[in-house]
Amino acid sequence: MTKNDEIVIRADKVSKSVDGPDGRLTILDDVGFTLARGDSLAIVGASGSGKTTLLGLLAGLDRPSSGEIMLAGERLDTLDEEARARLRRRRVGFVFQNFHLLPALNAEENVMLPLELEGSTDARTRAGEALARVGLAARKHHYPAQLSGGEQQRVALARAFVHAPEILFADEPTGNLDRRTGTAIGDLLFALNREHGTTLVLVTHDTVLAERCARRLALDGGRIVDAAAA
Amino acid sequence: MKPLTFAARSLRREFRHAELATLALALVLAVAALTGVATLASRVEHALLASAAELIGGDLSIGASRTLPQKLVDEATQRELKTSRLADFPSVVFAGEASRLADVRASDDAFPLRGVLAVRDAAGAEREVHAPPPGSVYVEPAVLSALALKIGAKIQVGGRDLVVAGEITRSPDSGNLLRLAPRVMMSLADAEAIGLLGAGSRARHRLLVAGDEAAVADYARAIKPQLPDGAEIVTIAEAQQNLSSAFERGGNFLRLAALLAALLSGIAIALAAQRFARRKREEVALLRCLGASRAEILGALLLELGLLALPACLLGVVVGLGLQQLVFAFAGDLLPGARPAIPWQPSLAAFAVGVAVLFGFALPPLLRLRDVEPMRVFRRDDARRAGRFDALYLLPVVVAAGLIAVGAGDTQLALTLSLGFAGVAAASFVLGLLLLRLVSGGGKLLPGALRFGLANLARRRALTLLQAGALALSLTAFAVLAVVGPSLLASWRAELPADTPNYFLINLQDEQRTPMQDRIAALGATNINMLPLAVGKLVAINGKTPKAEDYNDRRAASWINGETRMSWSQDLPPSNKLLQGRWFAANATDDTGAQVSVDKMWIDMFHLKLGDSLTLRVGEREIVATIASIRGVRWDSFRANFFLMLDARTGSELAHSTIASFHLPRDVSLASLSRDFANVSLIDLNQILDRVREIIGRVSRAVISVLGFSLAAGLLVLLAALAATADERRFESALLRTLGAHSAQLSAAVLGEFAALGLVAGSIAAIGSAAIGYALATRVFRFESYTPPFASLLAVVFAAAALVAIAGWLATRRIARTPPIAVLREG
Ligand SMILES: Nc1ncnc2c1ncn2[C@@H]1O[C@H](COP(=O)(O)OP(=O)(O)O)[C@@H](O)[C@H]1O
Ligand SMILES: [Mg+2]
Repeated sequence: MTKNDEIVIRADKVSKSVDGPDGRLTILDDVGFTLARGDSLAIVGASGSGKTTLLGLLAGLDRPSSGEIMLAGERLDTLDEEARARLRRRRVGFVFQNFHLLPALNAEENVMLPLELEGSTDARTRAGEALARVGLAARKHHYPAQLSGGEQQRVALARAFVHAPEILFADEPTGNLDRRTGTAIGDLLFALNREHGTTLVLVTHDTVLAERCARRLALDGGRIVDAAAA
Repeated sequence: MKPLTFAARSLRREFRHAELATLALALVLAVAALTGVATLASRVEHALLASAAELIGGDLSIGASRTLPQKLVDEATQRELKTSRLADFPSVVFAGEASRLADVRASDDAFPLRGVLAVRDAAGAEREVHAPPPGSVYVEPAVLSALALKIGAKIQVGGRDLVVAGEITRSPDSGNLLRLAPRVMMSLADAEAIGLLGAGSRARHRLLVAGDEAAVADYARAIKPQLPDGAEIVTIAEAQQNLSSAFERGGNFLRLAALLAALLSGIAIALAAQRFARRKREEVALLRCLGASRAEILGALLLELGLLALPACLLGVVVGLGLQQLVFAFAGDLLPGARPAIPWQPSLAAFAVGVAVLFGFALPPLLRLRDVEPMRVFRRDDARRAGRFDALYLLPVVVAAGLIAVGAGDTQLALTLSLGFAGVAAASFVLGLLLLRLVSGGGKLLPGALRFGLANLARRRALTLLQAGALALSLTAFAVLAVVGPSLLASWRAELPADTPNYFLINLQDEQRTPMQDRIAALGATNINMLPLAVGKLVAINGKTPKAEDYNDRRAASWINGETRMSWSQDLPPSNKLLQGRWFAANATDDTGAQVSVDKMWIDMFHLKLGDSLTLRVGEREIVATIASIRGVRWDSFRANFFLMLDARTGSELAHSTIASFHLPRDVSLASLSRDFANVSLIDLNQILDRVREIIGRVSRAVISVLGFSLAAGLLVLLAALAATADERRFESALLRTLGAHSAQLSAAVLGEFAALGLVAGSIAAIGSAAIGYALATRVFRFESYTPPFASLLAVVFAAAALVAIAGWLATRRIARTPPIAVLREG
């Protein structure tokens, strides 16, 4: 299903271990895969299997203990914190399990955030369009506290896609929502993904959602136990 | 990202959060207190200087033993300053057979440039006048009674008959203790014509100058090199020792109150900033995740604070100016003369200090947000690198120390406050550690809920210590303001009780002592004090003739060139405090040489130390006295006080008279006294006493209003500290309730915990504030006696414990009312 053979994400022998109270703990062990432009990947596995850790590493939010990660043509280990932030700013979008909208900003301002970080001049117009796309044109002056969970996640989706990122990372985007709302959010996520041709990395233990992805990667105890194309 | 836009947006919403409101309010209070106090102090000082000017008749006085050169007058005229020439000399005046030594002042028509000269004429009408026209004199009542004269009669001065045109009722420099005889005023033209000012006369010539403050200061600088030999400049600041001494203490009070307000605000700001930073951690993680740079995030945070600080500081300035205006309007009409304008410098300084306090206390927790890891967006990660020392946390200490150093304006005050608060901080740290150890040791015996709470206390060691410290510090400042401050003010007022001497008698002879004592006692005088008085001259210091130019202190010249008064007594006189050395032994023998006790000001001025020798000439005798002790003299006590006190054996052999001080109700007439003791001069101190009382009253009122401000700041800190602690508990108590703890169990646990915290902090505060109060009383204000109000302080301990417990309980009760799930879900 790859439209383009260009590799957007490559993980090579990635391991992560941390020093805990009971000695050294290996969270990820020798994980490797590649993802081409426009592909979608579901990372599945039990709670504590290392899904979120892997997502964080791929997005350059943290550094692996060993191994190499390539994101959007850049080797992350050659970039410092600030350079990785710049990379994310331009090319990456995020959706979180608990939405992570800034409580002090209203819906429109939350959506404007990635555009403003880029220095875009028509942030407000584009944010308005993005909110309209997720069906919240009438709620743009509402604050997160005034929105339901599903509405908050829709604002988060608008924020994630507003600057047309190449890659979208989503960590259990439906995890905090009831089934019906979750399904609606899932539909919206994949619709937006198609419209923008975004490369998607989705962490979930919702099998229905996982099956909508082109590829799946199952983790157990930090190791890949199954890698399959749907 | 445009940090400014982002900051403004965030602030718009976040201002509703308690911590930002606390921060802003703390800032308003700090800036208001600092502005109010500094402005008030500066204006009162100006007003005082103006009233001191009225006491000497001008803004500046140049004194010399010869007529001052015309070019000094020209120089002043060029600068559009007013001038007046005058000459003071002693002269015996006659009326028929009667005679009286008088202190004659001959002046031109311009005198006085400042203040009021008022006379009563034959008809009894009082009016304000300038110097008398040629051919006439004005005299003080003592002259009339001594010579049995009436207004309109003739009096002989220098062999010339002059008409007594009025009785002086008010005149500049009344209350000047250097005057030995009642005053006669005549015109300068007459004095010159009669030849009273020629060569060989003992006249002291003076040129008074008055005008714009800056122009006067300019003039003083310009003419300094042109002054003839032996001439000296006296500015009003130096002119009135007792006024400025009284004001110094008042200023210290005000600065103390304002400083405490600023420090308390600093603590409130630190606590609020800490909560603010805690809340912002998630947001920073998200912004990092979305690709914002550290600089942008920090910029936005600082801008948000700045946007808050700017209006808060401005509001503080406005409130402070309003406050001082109120105090000034309330107390200022007691001041004679013009109202000094509102100076702008104190406002600017307070504004700057406000910003410094804000950033000094708020930066450390905010800067630590740099270290927030973007991974935090995925997990609530409270693991803090425990025990990591961060030099950033020294910043508030540095800012506080700087604030004290700059704001105190007095080394002793700065030292007392810094040491006091450092001690309290150290004590709370040590006691806090002890408490934690006790908790972790004995915790196993406690019931579940309480054990859990205490275990949390122990887990958040650093935070617990910080909060205990903040609580102890703010309670200390609180106790100093609420309990110690008023008791210090009371001590100050008690220093000028109702029976403070308001009259001096000088030139009393030994054989007149007893009759005079009986006489004034019969009139109803109280607090009668008699001391011998010898007039001499300082001839040498350690054998060497002193030269005025060797000393920085300009006042030195007047003692080197002029006369020095000295006294002696068996015991250390009241309102004197021994600072170094010992008071003279009663049983001195022949081989104990002459000894002298010297006031601290002289010691500093002439760079003296114990064991140095002073050579003094009194009449024909010359004595070499060793400095046996150093005294601190309370010059605003209104007793007869002396820079030099000799040992009684040496003193009693010198030619001397007696000076008496006593208190007498004002309406008692002393006319008969000057008639029956013609040689004795009476000095009326009522006017100057009124001034000092005014100052004390005014400053007390000002201090009380500033205390109110500082107390508000203190309350704010307490609330901020408790809110922070309650915040910390939200999660735990929600969890405990989910696990099935009764709310009664929770309440009991919280109540007990907070009460223990309050008791510890309160005890430290009570001891700390008593110590600070004692140090202030003895080292800064130099009160004769001061006992810290222990009973009230003990009450503070229990009140603190109760307050902390109740406030803590209320805060957690609010949490208890929210369903636990709401709290847990927030995470
Ligand atoms: N910073 C860390 N310190 C210690 N343990 C961690 C850290 N990050 C993750 N872990 C542990 O690694 C494991 C995997 O976590 P995570 O990636 O969040 O799993 P998942 O998202 O699959 O539920 C968990 O057991 C978690 O406790
Ligand atoms: Mg996870």
